[in-house]
Amino acid sequence: MKLLAHLTWAAVAVLGALTLGGIALNHREPINSIWLVVAAACTYLVGFRFYAKFLAARVMVLNDKRATPAERLRDGLDYEPTNKWILFGHHFAAIAGPGPLVGPVLAAQFGYLPGTLWIIIGAVLGGAVQDFVILFASMRRDGKSLGQIAREEVGTVGGFTALVTVLLIMIILLAVIALVVVNALRGSPWGTFTIAATMPIALWMGIYLRYIRPGKVLECSVMGFALVVLSIFGGQWVAESSTWGPLFSFGAMGLAVAVIIYGYCASVLPVWLFLAPRDYLSTFIKLGVVLALGVGILFVRPELQLPAFTRFVDGTGPIFAGKIFPFCFITIACGAVSGFHSLISSGTTPKMIARESHAYPVGYGAMLMESFVAVMAMIAACVLQPGVYFAVNSPAGVVGSTPAAAVATISNWGFPVTVADMTNLAKAVGEQTLFYRTGGAPSLALGMAAIFARGGGGQAVLGFWYHFAIMFEALFILTIIAAGTRVGRFMLHDLMAQFSRPTAKKMTGIVGVNVVSLVVVAAWGYFLVQGVRDPLGGINSLWPLFGISNQLLASVALCVATTIVLKMHGPKFMWITCGPLVWLLSATFTAGWQKIFAPEPALGFLAHANQLEQAMRRSPSTTTAALIFNDRLDAVVTGIFLILVATILVDSLRTWMGILRGTRESRIFEAPFVPSRLQPEEL
Amino acid sequence: MSRLRRLGALMLALLRELADENAYQRHLAAHGRTHSPQEWRHFFKHRLEAKYARAKCC
Repeated sequence: MKLLAHLTWAAVAVLGALTLGGIALNHREPINSIWLVVAAACTYLVGFRFYAKFLAARVMVLNDKRATPAERLRDGLDYEPTNKWILFGHHFAAIAGPGPLVGPVLAAQFGYLPGTLWIIIGAVLGGAVQDFVILFASMRRDGKSLGQIAREEVGTVGGFTALVTVLLIMIILLAVIALVVVNALRGSPWGTFTIAATMPIALWMGIYLRYIRPGKVLECSVMGFALVVLSIFGGQWVAESSTWGPLFSFGAMGLAVAVIIYGYCASVLPVWLFLAPRDYLSTFIKLGVVLALGVGILFVRPELQLPAFTRFVDGTGPIFAGKIFPFCFITIACGAVSGFHSLISSGTTPKMIARESHAYPVGYGAMLMESFVAVMAMIAACVLQPGVYFAVNSPAGVVGSTPAAAVATISNWGFPVTVADMTNLAKAVGEQTLFYRTGGAPSLALGMAAIFARGGGGQAVLGFWYHFAIMFEALFILTIIAAGTRVGRFMLHDLMAQFSRPTAKKMTGIVGVNVVSLVVVAAWGYFLVQGVRDPLGGINSLWPLFGISNQLLASVALCVATTIVLKMHGPKFMWITCGPLVWLLSATFTAGWQKIFAPEPALGFLAHANQLEQAMRRSPSTTTAALIFNDRLDAVVTGIFLILVATILVDSLRTWMGILRGTRESRIFEAPFVPSRLQPEEL
Repeated sequence: MSRLRRLGALMLALLRELADENAYQRHLAAHGRTHSPQEWRHFFKHRLEAKYARAKCC
């Protein structure tokens, strides 16, 4: 039996190596997407079975005899021992955001190979390790947050810096995902109507849950889902109506203002009325779509149309500027390593773990699942014709402001596409145009629609699936915007309390809540408007800024993780977290430095500002002046991120050196050991 | 067949967990109360306050 197990694992490892080798070396001809699926699945299995098991047994020394916070502090609400597979699904639903869907689609501008390899390898050696160690650390500390752990284990500077870093990241994140929605719905009455309809549906669900059938969340969500599907059909009717169509057709600025107003209202409305029902709906749809996409890819097994590498590996890409290193890693972000996961791993999940050994599948396994979602997003983007992919994702400022100019530029790059191709595709999905739809969401929706339509229904259902995918992306992005604005408000309160408790307390009344919400909305709204006005499409500057900030947060989490590993075992196992940390710091600091100081105007914020300044000397304009200010602001924000993380790094290095030299106490702030009395039937 | 049934039960339990319905049942059991619209509203208020004070992932 043992021999059979060894042989099976050897076969999985060999198959993984062969498929990875196959996609890495066989890049002269198109390959089937199943190669990527098999390579990813085998690598995850080997990583999960051997590396994660080693981490669990030797590094974290998980001990099922030790009672977890869920058992010791059980309150039937937050602290509750939960079945590991239910917790796995719960944790996965919490960590799966738009990042792993959008990032790989944008990174496909380099071709499918660099992004796919990083998604797979980065997750196994970096992202999943970070999630696992932080989940373990929080579980051993009664479910404390990353900030609290940082304060205790690293120092007060680290804790405060982590709070400021998270708030800044939140602002950039909200702006960039709002921009993704704006670009997806611009000039699309079908999409706009569908998304607008989700708002009264959510309000109705809120009222239903509170007054009509209290507590029946699943029942209510099923009805909500049926209404959302109906609204997609309604959207088609609206788009085809000469009366209603124009009413739901907005320009980018109009949509940006609408999203800003939505963000403010959704964050101050009672949570039960709007945010919670919308969140339930969005979570269920998200899980369903991810599952359906996985099944669809396995069933259809589409061929990848994008090459393994494109000419844009040299840094001249139209979607975002910069070479593979560091920008492929910054752009993929959450699909391989996500700093935000450390907040979830030190949030609800550690309070629900029944046995310590469950942290292994939940912490490590859920990140592998997220990485697999990123691989599927990469496949969805790469099944598009390369010319179509670039026509959808490139801004007018790069490829030319007319369709004829855009197809000429893109065809000259070696990716043939015609205006007729784009017109026919737009018609097939019920849109007026698909040119300049930067942000990744429309091309992902096109890829998903192509896969779903090939599963059954063909061209006739392409429009439905395209708008279903757009609805799915916009619904959960807008839910994150509402929840994020609310959380930003709490963070701002916390930050105020660090300086003046009475002032912070004053701001908790109804006026204070509204004022603080307005400040948060104004902060991300400013960056959103900046993105909308940007002639390069906004994504070119905002997505790298988001990627840099997300990866810097991961660096903060890995600094904390390294400190804990060092305190537990000395330097023996430091490489486990230090390896990914060194890689992330190299990628993010290089990217940050290049975004600020690179001499190419397409890449460097300051170089672009200088170019605009020269243009302004020739013909002064307030628009150009605003663009110059925005470039300089982006440079300052990037600089602040780098300084904040450098501060945490220096603080951590000081702690590590102190521990290694024996001049600093290596005390671990874990909760004391209490033997577990949990019975198997309680799981 | 029994494996499929177990998988179905697990999926339903996951959906109920995500829908906070399991948490509500635990709340009722822990406090020895029975379901009523008022009880649900009381539970829901506290549940949501805690839930939406935390960052959602990107």
